[in-house]
Amino acid sequence: MTTRLHDTDSLDALKGLVSHTTVQGVPTLYAPQQGEITAGLVFRVGRADETLATAGITHLVEHLALHRLGLSDLHYNGATANAYTLFHATGSEAEVVAYLNAVCAALRDLPLDRLETEKEILRTEAAGRGGADSQLPLWRYGAQGYGLSSYNELGTWDLTADQVRAWAETRFTRDNAVLWITSDAVPEGLDITLPAGTRLPAPAASSALPVTPAYVHGDDGHVVFNAVVRRSTAASVFADVLGRALFQDLRQEGGYSYSAEADYSLRDAEFATLTAYADSLPKKQDAVVGGFVDTLARLRAGRIEQSELDAVRAKTLKIYDTPDLGAAALPSYALNLLLGHRLLSPDEHRAELMALTTADLREVAREAWADGLLQVPGHRGADWAGLTLAPQYSTSTLTGTRHQSLEDDRITLVIGSEGVSLQTPGGPVTVPYDACAAMTARPDGARTLTGLDGFAVTVEPTLYRGVTPERIAAIDAAVPQAAVVRMPERAPEQIPQPRERRASTARTGGRSRWGWTLALWVVGTIAAVWGLLSAVVTAEEAGAANPEWDAVVGIWVLELPLLFVTWKLYGARKRR
Amino acid sequence: MSSTRSGSGGRPTETGPGSDTGTGSRSGSSGPSFDPYETLPELVPLRSAARQGHWPAVQAYFTSLDSTEKVSYAVGLLAETADVERMLEKAVADRPADPLPRTLLADRYVRIGWGIRSDLRAKHVSQEQFDQFHDWLRRAEQILIDVCAEQPAYAPAWTVRLITARGLSLGQSEARRRYDRLTAHHPHHYPAQMQLLQQLCPKWGGSWDAAHGFAREAAAAAPDGSHAGALVALAHLEHWLELDGGEAGAYMRGLPVRDDLRFAAQVSVLHSDHRAGWYGIGAHSAFALAFSLGGHFEDALPHFTALGDRASDFPWSYLPNPKSAFVKYRKSALATL
Repeated sequence: MTTRLHDTDSLDALKGLVSHTTVQGVPTLYAPQQGEITAGLVFRVGRADETLATAGITHLVEHLALHRLGLSDLHYNGATANAYTLFHATGSEAEVVAYLNAVCAALRDLPLDRLETEKEILRTEAAGRGGADSQLPLWRYGAQGYGLSSYNELGTWDLTADQVRAWAETRFTRDNAVLWITSDAVPEGLDITLPAGTRLPAPAASSALPVTPAYVHGDDGHVVFNAVVRRSTAASVFADVLGRALFQDLRQEGGYSYSAEADYSLRDAEFATLTAYADSLPKKQDAVVGGFVDTLARLRAGRIEQSELDAVRAKTLKIYDTPDLGAAALPSYALNLLLGHRLLSPDEHRAELMALTTADLREVAREAWADGLLQVPGHRGADWAGLTLAPQYSTSTLTGTRHQSLEDDRITLVIGSEGVSLQTPGGPVTVPYDACAAMTARPDGARTLTGLDGFAVTVEPTLYRGVTPERIAAIDAAVPQAAVVRMPERAPEQIPQPRERRASTARTGGRSRWGWTLALWVVGTIAAVWGLLSAVVTAEEAGAANPEWDAVVGIWVLELPLLFVTWKLYGARKRR
Repeated sequence: MSSTRSGSGGRPTETGPGSDTGTGSRSGSSGPSFDPYETLPELVPLRSAARQGHWPAVQAYFTSLDSTEKVSYAVGLLAETADVERMLEKAVADRPADPLPRTLLADRYVRIGWGIRSDLRAKHVSQEQFDQFHDWLRRAEQILIDVCAEQPAYAPAWTVRLITARGLSLGQSEARRRYDRLTAHHPHHYPAQMQLLQQLCPKWGGSWDAAHGFAREAAAAAPDGSHAGALVALAHLEHWLELDGGEAGAYMRGLPVRDDLRFAAQVSVLHSDHRAGWYGIGAHSAFALAFSLGGHFEDALPHFTALGDRASDFPWSYLPNPKSAFVKYRKSALATL
């Protein structure tokens, strides 16, 4: 059943360092360590496996599985990452066994009576989250897969007990798990019975970036760069070299930044995410962007000192100085075994480190730049550095019923049979129903549709003309049920009301309206004078012995175009 | 060849990329020459090589130059040569690792872009002109990012990057960072100082405090006899340009400005250690013009004497008729004898 475990070639590389076995069907790695025992049970399921509508379901399972442990002195925790979920604890052998047994017992039979409480806890947790790079996944991947970490856990609103149970039964299985223990033997008394299932590979990555390297606008005070690179010893060393280079260029030499650092973290079996970050004083933001671009260019050009490589290599090699090397490496080996990535023995890793050249690092720098996504503060451009702005608008619009914004008459909401679209002066924002990642629904009729590409349209019936319950029903009927997230009722004061209408007059310069006013006055005056003249002539002819009625008609006919132009000018001026 | 800054129809105030390497064909028997190929005849082989599209000769010419300052001057001058980009694009393709052809090509792209933008104030430039201008500058900038990454001590590339930073509105702190990267290797590179001074003026997002402060600091920090003192004169000329008629004249006549100019001239172009160099004509021109505008003709005299019949396009192009102004002011200066 556990095919990968019995494909033990890669585990053989760890002989003498790490032992392996199977505990109740769960592949298990163990290696001795002085003192207390640490154990980790890791599952190949995480946020990237969810959808926007079910986002948070893995996190919910993790919380429910740990609930029964309550307030114990044991040092334990759970963590839900993009591609995996980890339960871990440190303590005496008996404590760790009790922990693992409790987690697995809970996974077999989740305390779903706690569901609503845990959902609320997760919603509260979410409010405190969000780092400087929290928006980059959304821009890179859209509202799906690895992009979901940018989003709130929408599933914490209306996931049902059945959904959560089914998720646990299919993802938290013995075939989708690896256990590791820092012990010279598998402890007695373990009961980690889990349902059978299958090993799920990490999800394939989606892309919301048509062109890379790309850039997006972000918050003031932060510059962030990320790139997806092939996992390798060179790439992980490069991250350290990049961090040091940024620190040197932006902090030590320039004094533009306080923090400047880089990080390498695995995404799946094949790829890792390289992230570089620098903060900035308000007046130095332009220099931080420029310095960031130049540091990356320097590494890409291969201007990397041998001493930079040597320093990072020496630091990396230090991990092998630890007395319980096998135990220290267990979490990483377990994760790679779970993801299906090769297991590198310390000797192999050392050999790869020693063979690294600055040319290898230059290659990683080039690969990273080619795939790069840079977040610049405020509304700065970065196209000067060869980066392309990530899409700000959808590529297409839709037809359907048109509903003008009650706040800004340049904006029109379109509700069609294939999707919804917001037409704005900058371009359209469109969510086709068949590519809708999630639609939140309020009892008052408000709907927010988020497309798989990350574009979102909010339909507030109070803010657009003619959005009747029938139109909302048409949207509800077209959006796939799996994408619908029912949200609670809002307090009346939370339902938005149109702000003061932004009429066209506010936008166009006074000068152009001046022109229309002048034209209206000129033509209007001529029309009035000619009308008066016509009336006088008519009166005179009427009093004459032989009225020349054809002349009177002729005069009045000339008045008609004048009146028409006056009317048109009046209308045109009003629209300015 | 025509100047990119022919000042017909008023004061062109948003100075383009040019330093004092303008190539106006204003030679004549009575007045001064503004043509660098006439005022500095040793530049003629460069022009001949460029006109023939003969890259090896261009390269040999640059190799023969004995200072970074001269290289920057010659880069700026060659970049003003019409159609020179054809030769340069080929040279870049043939020697992709060589910083010189890439820097020359980038500077040429900057001039092409600035030619489209014109030197008019931003409000008189159309959106389409701006788009094309920015396109050319981005092409230049991307070449220069690589050159500076590979050769961080290559002053001519950083100097052009100060121009792209300005044209692309990359901000005060970014321009300053570029200047600081350059000064780490070349602490007193006058061509770059002239570019940064432009950036520090209010018209490019700076302030008068920043512009005058930088000019004074650079002048004070430079070795005696260098050109840097002329930055003080250029800063005052920029300030004068921003002021209205009456106010402008009063500003230049004021004693603080005069004393500032006198001190700057003493430590730079009038110092016994001063060696003319190719920027000397521009530096003396700055002092001659600044003193003349304030009516300090006695102070202007040594500068006119040093210039003889030679002048530089910049900063004389800040006047509607540079040649007649030069002649008029020189006459007044000579009358003080």
